[in-house]
Amino acid sequence: MITTVVGNYPKIGPGTKAPNLRTAISRGDRGETTPEQIQGIRAEVTAEVISDQIQAGIDLVTDGLIRWDDGQTYLARAISGFSFTGLIRYFDTNTYFRQPVVDGLLKWTAPITVADYEFAAANSSKPVKAVLTGPYTLARLSQDQKYHDQKKLVLDLAEVLNQEAKALQKAGASVIQFDEPAILKHKDEFPLFQEAMDRLTKGLKPTLALYTYFDDISGVYPAFLKLPFQIFGLDYVMGKANWDVVTDVPSDVSLGLGVVNARNTKMETEAEIGDAIKRIAPIVPLDRLYINPNCGLEFLPRETAYQKLVRMVEGSKKAAEVAA
Amino acid sequence: MSGLLTTSVGSFPKPPELQAARNKMLRGELGRDELEQMEREATAFWIKSQEELGLDILVDGEMDRGDMVTYFSELLDGFTISGLVRSYGNRYYRKPIAVGPIGRKNPMTLKTWEYAQSLTDKPVKGMLTGPYTIAEWSFNEYYSTFEEFVMEVAKVVHDEAVDLERAGAKYIQIDEPAASTRPEEMELVARSMAVVTKGLSAYTLTHICYGDFEAVIDDLNSIPVDNLDMETANQDYSLLELFRDHKSDKHLTLGVTDVHTHEIESLDQVKAGIRKGLEIFTPEQLFIGPDCGLKTRTADESIAKLKVMVQAVNEIKAELGIA
Repeated sequence: MITTVVGNYPKIGPGTKAPNLRTAISRGDRGETTPEQIQGIRAEVTAEVISDQIQAGIDLVTDGLIRWDDGQTYLARAISGFSFTGLIRYFDTNTYFRQPVVDGLLKWTAPITVADYEFAAANSSKPVKAVLTGPYTLARLSQDQKYHDQKKLVLDLAEVLNQEAKALQKAGASVIQFDEPAILKHKDEFPLFQEAMDRLTKGLKPTLALYTYFDDISGVYPAFLKLPFQIFGLDYVMGKANWDVVTDVPSDVSLGLGVVNARNTKMETEAEIGDAIKRIAPIVPLDRLYINPNCGLEFLPRETAYQKLVRMVEGSKKAAEVAA
Repeated sequence: MSGLLTTSVGSFPKPPELQAARNKMLRGELGRDELEQMEREATAFWIKSQEELGLDILVDGEMDRGDMVTYFSELLDGFTISGLVRSYGNRYYRKPIAVGPIGRKNPMTLKTWEYAQSLTDKPVKGMLTGPYTIAEWSFNEYYSTFEEFVMEVAKVVHDEAVDLERAGAKYIQIDEPAASTRPEEMELVARSMAVVTKGLSAYTLTHICYGDFEAVIDDLNSIPVDNLDMETANQDYSLLELFRDHKSDKHLTLGVTDVHTHEIESLDQVKAGIRKGLEIFTPEQLFIGPDCGLKTRTADESIAKLKVMVQAVNEIKAELGIA
């Protein structure tokens, strides 16, 4: 059993050693901090949130996506063919992002996240998971003014992200996660999604994870768990139906059990986490189980996110002891 | 014939010295009385500015509110406040947490409203945040369902609206910017609003922004208020088109200036927007305002945008022979 996080981690918090990123960015807006200084602070915050995760007992960490404003624009700004328009809501959250607009043919021109991965790997005593937004979700959350062909757009993005993943592979990434929450809101497009996932994962050697959240996989199960990935992250908080839907997990894949609610401050008890692990055990043996929050932790204040991870790790440990 | 009443959505920018004073007060370096005095001065500035601009229905500008949900949660029983969470870019806010039954100790907005109304003969709107938005923008550690949380908050918002009405408020606006979060819950927005507006004789409005309302336009039209205040300019008036095929007896406040850009709209742009509104609504049904609260703009930008808006309305009223 491996404890992990889904992706982002709160960027600011009380009592931190790293300089406050929020203050640095507003100073930057007034020309009082240089972009290089802000990049330096992002690096310090990244090192700090990696160390927070390790201190909480997380086995497989991320860089907290401290450099990302959101799951879309960080990648889209570096992919040729995107421009940006007004702020829109991210799913049913109270967070917003500048909507990418596809106004040219989409092309990968240079590594986007490789330096971030290398920095994280150099600053972590635990394995680091690279995280990318998947092509279907990125396409769905963008406005198309070029392709007028959803399939071609998604497949081109799959190609772009495949190249990014290959660059991560070359840099030594051993686990790469793709986030695809949008497919759960458009299950009728699953055939296109399957094709995109084939294109996305072609020729990749690292362990590949596919994470979904905010909903369940009813309607696309069991085909979903046969997609070309080794780890499937499912949301058992907002997608409670996953408990009833997922009755069998193929023996060659692992399950990412999203049991901690990263969208509400109410603390889970160790017993609740233990019960969830006991409940999933007949379906997936513990050695093929990842325990994680249901989605990225950035919806929470930093201190709550940390406490939730500590609770998750403790609950998982106790459940593992009981099982052993 | 009357019509095309002008108003604004609610918030105005705080003078930089007031913002600095709020921060000082939070750090314990300034007394509450001194801060309140500065808030009253800023309120008086905005009342005078709105009168000079010639607006018909005024707002107090929310000089004493940091935001539209935390402000109420700090005054209500049952809430505590979280650490900072990010909403987008470099914007962070403290999110309320429901930790017990929500209850109202005292009127929350009455004093500021009474002060603002005492400064002018024009009507000043009572400004409240709706129950769906208060619940949606909070964490919930107490209620077993979101619906229960919303319906309980509705009762305290109703009590506040009753107090405003008794004090003489002719217009009460209950904002629900979160209503577009899950369009499938528009029915819950309407049901909780029914609790808020029950028995009120004041003219009621609700401001709703963002979102894709196509599938829920009938539920939107069923929200029990007299006037829907919609953000229309920044979506190039596409939202307005929904009302063309779903005619409503309700009044509409048409947003004609984009509050998210520094750029001041041209007179022709604003007039074109108003004319689009008049294709679907009668002048009596149509109020004219900015898209949203102006607090993210500077005072100069806010006044410049409103000046163009009032001039555009006056020219169209002259064309139509409206007094």
